[in-house]
Amino acid sequence: MDARHFFTHPEYGTRPERATHGLVVPLPAGGLAGGSPVQVWSQTLPVPRRHHEAARQRRRELRRPVPAPGVRAVLLRYADGRADLVLSAHRAALGPADLDRLARELTGAATPGTPPAPGAPPGPWTAPVAPAPAFGLGDGTRAGRYARAELGSVPCPRPEPAQLVAATALVLARYGEPAAFAVVGPDAVTVAVPEVADDDTLDALTRRAEAGLHAGPDADRLPALGILLPATDPAVRCEPAAPPFPVTVAWRWQPDGRLTGHCLFDEAYLAPAVAAAFAPQLLRAAAALAGRPLSTLVSDVELMTPEETARVLGAGRTPAGTGRRRGTVHAAFAALARERPDAPAFTDGATTLTYGELSGRAELLAAAMRDRGAGPGTRVGVCLDRGAELMTVLLGVLMTGAAYVPMDVRAPADRLAFTVRDARPALVVTDVDGFPEVDGVPLTSPDKLRADGPAARPVASAGGPDDPAYIIYTSGSTGRPKGVLVPHRNVMALLDATAGDLGLGPGDVWTLFHSAAFDFSVWEMWGCLLTGGRLVGVPYWVSRSPEEFHELVSRERVTVLSQTPSAFAQLRDADAEAPRGLSVRLVVFGGEPLDASALRAFHDRHPRTRLVNMFGITETTVHVTTRTVTPADMASRSRSVGTALPGWSVSVRDGRGRPLPFGAEGEIWVGGAGVAAGYLNRDELTSARFRPDGHAGGTIYRSGDRGRLRPDGQLEHLGRLDNQVQLRGHRVEPDEVRAVLREQPGVTEAAVVVTGAAEEARLDAYVVLDGGSATAVRRAAARMLPEYMLPSTVTAVPALPLTINGKLDVAALPAPTGGEPPAPAADPPPADGITGALLDIWGSVFGRAVTVDDDFFELGGNSLLAVRLFAAQSRAGLPRVSLRELYLRPTITRLADAMANAPAGTGA
Amino acid sequence: MRLTGRTAIITGAARGLGRACAVRFAAEGADLVLVDVAADLDEVPYPLGTAEQLAGTAARCREHGATVLTVEGDVRDEAAATAVARAALDRFGRIDVLVNNAGIAAPAGKAIHEITEREWAVMIDVDLSGAWRMIKAVVPAMLDRRDGSIVNIASTAGLVGYRNFAGYVAAKHGIIGLTRAAALDYAPLKVRINALCPGSVRDDPAVEGRMLSEIARCLDVPVAQHEATFVQAQPMNALVEPADVAAAALWLAGDDARQVTGTVQVVDGGFTAR
Repeated sequence: MDARHFFTHPEYGTRPERATHGLVVPLPAGGLAGGSPVQVWSQTLPVPRRHHEAARQRRRELRRPVPAPGVRAVLLRYADGRADLVLSAHRAALGPADLDRLARELTGAATPGTPPAPGAPPGPWTAPVAPAPAFGLGDGTRAGRYARAELGSVPCPRPEPAQLVAATALVLARYGEPAAFAVVGPDAVTVAVPEVADDDTLDALTRRAEAGLHAGPDADRLPALGILLPATDPAVRCEPAAPPFPVTVAWRWQPDGRLTGHCLFDEAYLAPAVAAAFAPQLLRAAAALAGRPLSTLVSDVELMTPEETARVLGAGRTPAGTGRRRGTVHAAFAALARERPDAPAFTDGATTLTYGELSGRAELLAAAMRDRGAGPGTRVGVCLDRGAELMTVLLGVLMTGAAYVPMDVRAPADRLAFTVRDARPALVVTDVDGFPEVDGVPLTSPDKLRADGPAARPVASAGGPDDPAYIIYTSGSTGRPKGVLVPHRNVMALLDATAGDLGLGPGDVWTLFHSAAFDFSVWEMWGCLLTGGRLVGVPYWVSRSPEEFHELVSRERVTVLSQTPSAFAQLRDADAEAPRGLSVRLVVFGGEPLDASALRAFHDRHPRTRLVNMFGITETTVHVTTRTVTPADMASRSRSVGTALPGWSVSVRDGRGRPLPFGAEGEIWVGGAGVAAGYLNRDELTSARFRPDGHAGGTIYRSGDRGRLRPDGQLEHLGRLDNQVQLRGHRVEPDEVRAVLREQPGVTEAAVVVTGAAEEARLDAYVVLDGGSATAVRRAAARMLPEYMLPSTVTAVPALPLTINGKLDVAALPAPTGGEPPAPAADPPPADGITGALLDIWGSVFGRAVTVDDDFFELGGNSLLAVRLFAAQSRAGLPRVSLRELYLRPTITRLADAMANAPAGTGA
Repeated sequence: MRLTGRTAIITGAARGLGRACAVRFAAEGADLVLVDVAADLDEVPYPLGTAEQLAGTAARCREHGATVLTVEGDVRDEAAATAVARAALDRFGRIDVLVNNAGIAAPAGKAIHEITEREWAVMIDVDLSGAWRMIKAVVPAMLDRRDGSIVNIASTAGLVGYRNFAGYVAAKHGIIGLTRAAALDYAPLKVRINALCPGSVRDDPAVEGRMLSEIARCLDVPVAQHEATFVQAQPMNALVEPADVAAAALWLAGDDARQVTGTVQVVDGGFTAR
């Protein structure tokens, strides 16, 4: 395909001026030679040639499109008697060399030839243009507005075209967005799709670029980026009238031996701040390719200047707050308890402990634990359900100077044993029957501690801000769980960073919704108790029942909620059906990526409730960034997780730890006040993930999350580095598929999981439907998703199962059914009365026939589904049962027995 | 500078509202193709714009830095309309805006049964069909670029009747119908067409306006009396200024009105609100 074809129908987009190029020729004193082959428009300007108005007019003339027949000549006369000939042409009619020849003819420098043959008239300008690259951070509302960024200028031998192609490919790869781009030479247009690997030599990259140049263009659409190679004859100054591509890089090589150029960009494709760094990086890459030994590795090419690095690091850093909160967690609590001993601190069911009572009880336990070996430098395992007892023990552990190692009461015994073996606590405080005995680590319970305790002489509080306050075990994507050591200083910094902005204070009522083994609870407990609020323990059963949890939030007048987006989605649904209002003024989201569009309904109902999204990692003390979700975020499905908390810093870096420019996709690194002390007993892993930061100082944590940083310091979170899967050669992001499924009519929730490995890998989708069928969802999704992103199966489930921590529980999802309803069971035995009614209800809720002995959970039941069952039961006039009852009697037979003994309309 | 880099064609540009629009567009950065018949017509009982007046408009536009092309042409002639579009494309390569302003206010001043066939025909031919011919000539270039705005200068006579002005009233009502139909034809291709209805406009010497006086003459009333009548009839108690109309045309022409098509914008000091 030659240049002529490329620049006309249909690949050119809707802007004919992109197909135009032009020349400015200063005229000799004699003016134009006679007998022009083209019409010459004449215009007189009332200013001299050097006047800026004259320059402006020349630019305007060059930018005008030229429709067929393809050439325009304008004679500009100036007040000082000088004149310019501005020649512009449609590229389909006249190439640069033809244009130059015509200029020479018109000015008498060459003998007149035949008039240029008109090119084919430009067709309808309808071809689609490639979408904006994600790294560009373009603003769609500024589409069509062009700005210019200079490449700069370096002394450089004349670059080969392949070197400029290789340079462009190298920079695009560094931005994480290798894509095809157009290469416009004097006589031909090609599309380059060079592959770039970090361990390529520059020589190999250049050779591949040379070969890639001959690849045929992708005629489907105009590439988003194109480079214009320098003219071969420096005497011909040929410029595009308008940027032919949304991002057009025009290279120039000056006869004085300098490589230079500029980048014209549509602001919908590149943000000016991104372009300002991107453009000079192209020049740096080109200079490296032209000047370095060709054995240099691609990854050795340094694209960022120290100034650019400082700029991105500065944008990702938020200065620390007041710094007034120092010392230890328990000392801060003790100070509050002394100040306001009678203020309510912890509500557990009908009982509320004051700050004074909580402090006094914790001191007693602390004394007993100290007698059993707890103290600075030691650890105490704690495995209790989320109530006043848990809170008292944790506080007591801190008072001894030890760090607490929280364990979930519902964790499997193997996991508990592993944690104890790894953490080697001085003792474990638990009331769990059958807690595994490990290597003689003593087990005790709060009751025993109180009974056996010393004659209650409270101990002086011990420990310092650099001692670990807690060790929370996180299961990485691979390998065994690892304990993260988080010092007191970090927790205090977290409070310092958030209390002011979120207005946390004694008027607040918080919930302790999460297991102590999930670090969201650190935020709930200490965020509340170190700012004077009242903490309401949420019993496990209630945390699993959105209806009951909503009731608790309403009854206790809770003001601050901390929720994972998955758990909140269930609360939101319960709220939509609840008559009572909520006193919640703040919801903090954490633990999972938030899809802001899911908040719209709740926001409409509670417009005054502030919704704050926090991206966080256990290794950086619960939270990292904060963003108050705006209605605009809800509309745009923003992936921004906000800016770093005061005292925290975020940067996006490449595989070698070098900060990447704004917009580039890379790994999120977190520094500052929240970085944990490391992993317990895992020195190698600690030194791999917690690194001295050569760029900003201090210790920095490599998160393993993908992201990009915006010039205003907003971080976009793009999922896990390892979340991205290769499916039949395509890179697929399951979250992206999930987002599309959620937009289908009738779909209220969706999950997409990757099963199998390597070539066997495939996507299975699960949807929660509010009408419609899984088959219809799959059909609809097929219209939105490329074939390789289409899930192999779409299975309707009544609700998405959640883990103890409120995240999607992949293991609890049923086997995919491919969207087809399960075969109905054989004729069910006739049933009547309660049993018959239950069979109908279960059948309709599960969407399939059930038998009286089917187990609720084996059918895929969970708390949300239970809520639906209860609603249907009460509509049918059946006796009410509690969630606990259902868990205990999970079949229709056993449930009907229980109901038969309970009067209709009352609790069982 | 709301029209930087754009090209606008304005018909009837020698004087009056056409000149007011041209100068305002030039001040906003547009390049212009100014069209006027620059000749008198037999059936029209008052002198029309002249070549000198057209050049005068062009000179005022150039003072703002605009590049201006002037074309003498009659909107009753399809070939002339095509030539205007051709010239605009040859010189500027694009047509962004068309203001269909050319129009005549007379022959008028008589009841319907007294209007002759020729009088009726010339009124419809200039005031209604002229706009259609210009749209026809210009719209293909706009469709190619999926962009363009056409402003049809109608009148309050396109909304209400005036005694003894049946031809004018019918033509201006027709312009509004043409506007609505054209808007639907081209909306999918992002070309917008709107009508603009000025009330009684003051004869501003700066634009050499004379419409008000000519209408008074048709009605056989003194100009001052006619003026006073309309000052009273327009609730703002003032005549509309040419600049008011140009400002509305500018808004319709530019991106600020990018979702506005098929509308009738009234600039009449409240006249039709009664």
